[in-house]
Parts: sequence; structure tokens; C-alpha cells
Amino acid sequence: MMWRALSADWLKIRGKGLWFLVFLGPLGLTAMQGLNFGLRYDYLKEQYQADLWGGLLSNVAGFVPIALYLGGTLVCSLIANVEHQMSSWKQLLALPVSRTAVYMAKLLLCLLLLVCSCLLLSAGTLALGLLLGFGIQAIPYADILRLGFASYAGALPIIALQLWLSVSSRNQTFPVAAGITLSLLSLFSMYLSEWMPLNWPVLAWEAESPWLFIASGLLLGLLMILPGAVHFARKDVD
Amino acid sequence: MKSTVITTNGLRKVYRGRAAVEQLDLNIGQGEIYGFLGPNGAGKTTTIRMLLGLIQPTSGDIQIFGKELRKHKLQILRRVGSLVESPSYYGHLSAADNLEAIRRILDVPKARIAEVLDIVSLTGEEKRPVKGFSLGMKQRLGIAAALLGSPELLILDEPTNGLDPSGIQEIRSLIKRLPAEYGITVLVSSHLLSEIEQMADTVGIIRQGTMIYQDTIAHLQEQAAGELRLTVSEPEAALKLSSLSGCGGSLQESRIVLPRMSDARVALLVRELVENGHAVYRVEEHRQSLEQFFLQVIEGGIS
Repeated sequence: MMWRALSADWLKIRGKGLWFLVFLGPLGLTAMQGLNFGLRYDYLKEQYQADLWGGLLSNVAGFVPIALYLGGTLVCSLIANVEHQMSSWKQLLALPVSRTAVYMAKLLLCLLLLVCSCLLLSAGTLALGLLLGFGIQAIPYADILRLGFASYAGALPIIALQLWLSVSSRNQTFPVAAGITLSLLSLFSMYLSEWMPLNWPVLAWEAESPWLFIASGLLLGLLMILPGAVHFARKDVD
Repeated sequence: MKSTVITTNGLRKVYRGRAAVEQLDLNIGQGEIYGFLGPNGAGKTTTIRMLLGLIQPTSGDIQIFGKELRKHKLQILRRVGSLVESPSYYGHLSAADNLEAIRRILDVPKARIAEVLDIVSLTGEEKRPVKGFSLGMKQRLGIAAALLGSPELLILDEPTNGLDPSGIQEIRSLIKRLPAEYGITVLVSSHLLSEIEQMADTVGIIRQGTMIYQDTIAHLQEQAAGELRLTVSEPEAALKLSSLSGCGGSLQESRIVLPRMSDARVALLVRELVENGHAVYRVEEHRQSLEQFFLQVIEGGIS
């Protein structure tokens, strides 16, 4: 049942700017580093002499968490807005499909789109590194893949929360404002405890034991789905 | 006896301490067009949302196709098509894609899309984005979406709201065709009596969340039949007489106005008048328009 809802959602997001956003994030990040390395090529090459690829990855990685937060916020809001816009929830939910399936389909769609973004980020970074002549032999494939996905896992709790907020309120001002606020806070929350979920995307990439934060992100993300799905299944639809 | 499709028992919905629907007992028989009538804000939409499982009743129960809605929601919804209030659509998609998005959830054959487009006469428009459609076309698309799953019960909330006269006419004739051609039971709500009168077989009138009238349209028309007016030579003297006879008439613009009564009673009254030397100029039955009757019902003047 969820797959049928997902297949319908897949159709509905056509022409809604979601795919544009999915491409914009990773390509924007890559382009930014292209500019960074392009302008200061000699200086940076000297600085990262020992590990050119590592240098590139760490530069990109600095922006991945906030890009994930902002991107996740917008993707969730746009997906929810497809139904909010012409009050289609009432039509959708009067169909013979369970609310849980509808909610999970939305979540899955959101997650899939962000997976696309992460893959694009890896591809873009790989292309950039090759373009900068960092050499084929030294390509750290695992790290390039981990670049997007490790932080993604760490960001899951916030993404699940954002979907819940966006689906719950017709007016998207609050959910989007909340998402942006959280994104900005995440820049400063590093000074607080490691146990702040807001920090996990960063820690999932650069902490000494990143797996701890990746696992925590996955776990809390899963837990965050629960209240959202339960609330959605019970709420009155106007 | 026709089998019933929808039965509700003591249905009640409370919003922030205010009862939007109170003790509502609906009874809708198979194959009929049931007109759900009431002024704006009377609780029609709230009731319809409860019937579709969009909102939870505070108390009371709903049975559709003889099954408890709470327990068999998806099974029931599979056999129900609906259009709730303002049309829901995805403006950026074409009419065909709008239906396709719903079809994927209903899992019916693709050919069904062309069929329903044909029923609502939107064939030829299916490739255009829906945001460019007129309100009437959007509303017809909504009905097409409701018909997509070949429902046995169609629930339409204010389907003609905001349409121009020709749009209203189109939707109305479409709705009237459904029971005859496809054996569909239709529940249609409206705040306009004339609408319901022209479509429905049975009418339920709701006021302030409570059902105040539920019977056939024919019976409603009968009840609306008004009063007897007598024009006589000396109305005041005559009134005393007829009042004495116990009819409880009154004098309005030098005419005697009497409540509706049987033919035999009227004959008796006229004979009495004539025997007492009154000249009877006119005996008229004044039929109150259904609209007036409706207002009277809505204002709570009828028991």
C-alpha cells in the first residue's frame, strides 16, 4: 500500500522544483569548492600536499551538515505543500489507503530525494578532484561515499522532525523558519555537548568514532518517525 | 424495503466545547439520491468528513454498507467515492495525471481514466494543466476522481457551490444520471433547497448540527402545502362563525386565512357560511413555496 502511495507521490512532485533543489544542493557545494580550489590552487595544494583528496573532502564536508539541514527542510516543506496547496489531503485521505502508508510514503520520498543529493555530491566531488588533477590512484572511494551519507545519517532526526512539522501545518512559515533556525544553530552548537542531536551530522563525519553518531542518528531518526506517524494517523483533516 | 447504505447513530462532534454535530441519525437507502440540506455552518461538511473517516466522531457510530466505519475503514472507502467542498487537485499536473495519481493508489486499470473523463465530458481536455481549468471543469474533474474506483456510494459535498448556472445544470444532470445508469447511491449536500429539490429523492435537513427533518422530497412538498384563504362578503362576521366551528382562522387583509384542512371539512365550512347568508367570493388554497417552508423549518418554526 505504501508503494502505491509512493508511486503516486512520485508523479505529484513533477514540476514542483524538488528535482531542481535535489541537484542545486550538491552541485552548488561542488561549484563552491571548485571556486575555492580554483582561486587558491597553489596555496591549497601546498597545504594539503600530504593528502590532496583528504583536503578537498574536508573542505566540502564543512558545508554538508548545514546543506542537509536546509535542503531537508525545504524538501519536506515542498513535499507537504503539494498536498496543502489545493487542500488535497482530504481527497487523498478519503481514498482506501492507510494514513500510516501515506505518511511513510512521504517520508520515503523525502529520504530518497536526499539520497540522490548525497550521491550527486559524491559524484560531483569525485569529478572536481579529478579535474583538479589530484590523481586517479589516490581516490578515497569510501570516504567520498561517506562524505554525504555519514552526515545524512546524523541529520535524520531533524529531517524526520521537519517532515512532521511540515505535514502538520498548512502554513509552511513555521516549519521552514524552524528548519532554518535549527540549521543556523547547528553552526554554533558544537560548543555544547556531543549528545546534542544537532551536532551529529558533523560528528558523524569527523569524530574519532563516527559510527557511534551515525548509529545514533539512524536510531533517533527512526524514533522520531513514530510520533509524527501516530499524530498524522489520528489528526482531524480539514 | 430497500437496504440502507449509510446509517448513523447519535453521531456527535465537538470542537473546542462547541457541538458542530449533535445526535445525528442519518438513514440513506440503496440507489437513492439523498439531499443533505442546511444553511452554511450547520454541520454538513463536518458530518461528511466523519462519514469519510477524515475526522473522528466525538461519540456515536457510523455504519456504511452494514459495516462499522471505525473497524473496516479501508474496506468501506474502497467502495466510496467522494468530493469534499472546494475541489482538490494538483494544479501543475494535467487532468489525466491528476487522475493517474489517484489511480495508482486505487490500483484500478488505466482504461478507467478515459472512462471517467468521458462520463464527466472532459475528454479532449485531459492533457492541459488543471490550474487553467474553469471552476466547473475542476469540479467535474473532482467528480471524475470520485468515480475512478467505480464506487457504489458517492459522497458529494456542495458540488455546485460557486458554479455558474450552466455549470450547475451540468453537474446536476450528471448526478441524476448516476443512480440510474451505474446503480450508485448518492449523498449530495447543499445549502440551496432548489438544488436538492431538483436532484434528490430523500432529503435530510440539518440545523445547528441537528437533523430536523428527514423524509422524501414528495412528503416535504406535501407538508409545505399551505393554507386556505376565503374571501367573503362580511369577513369579520364570518370569522366569528368559522372560529366557532373550531377551525382557528384569522383575518388577514380582509380575507379569512385558515390552516390546511381536509376537502370534506372545507365543503362543510362553505355550506355553513352560505347557510348563514354570507356570499362566498373565493376559496383559494395558497401553497407556500418550498423555499418559505424551508426557511420556516430552518428557523425552527416546524415541529
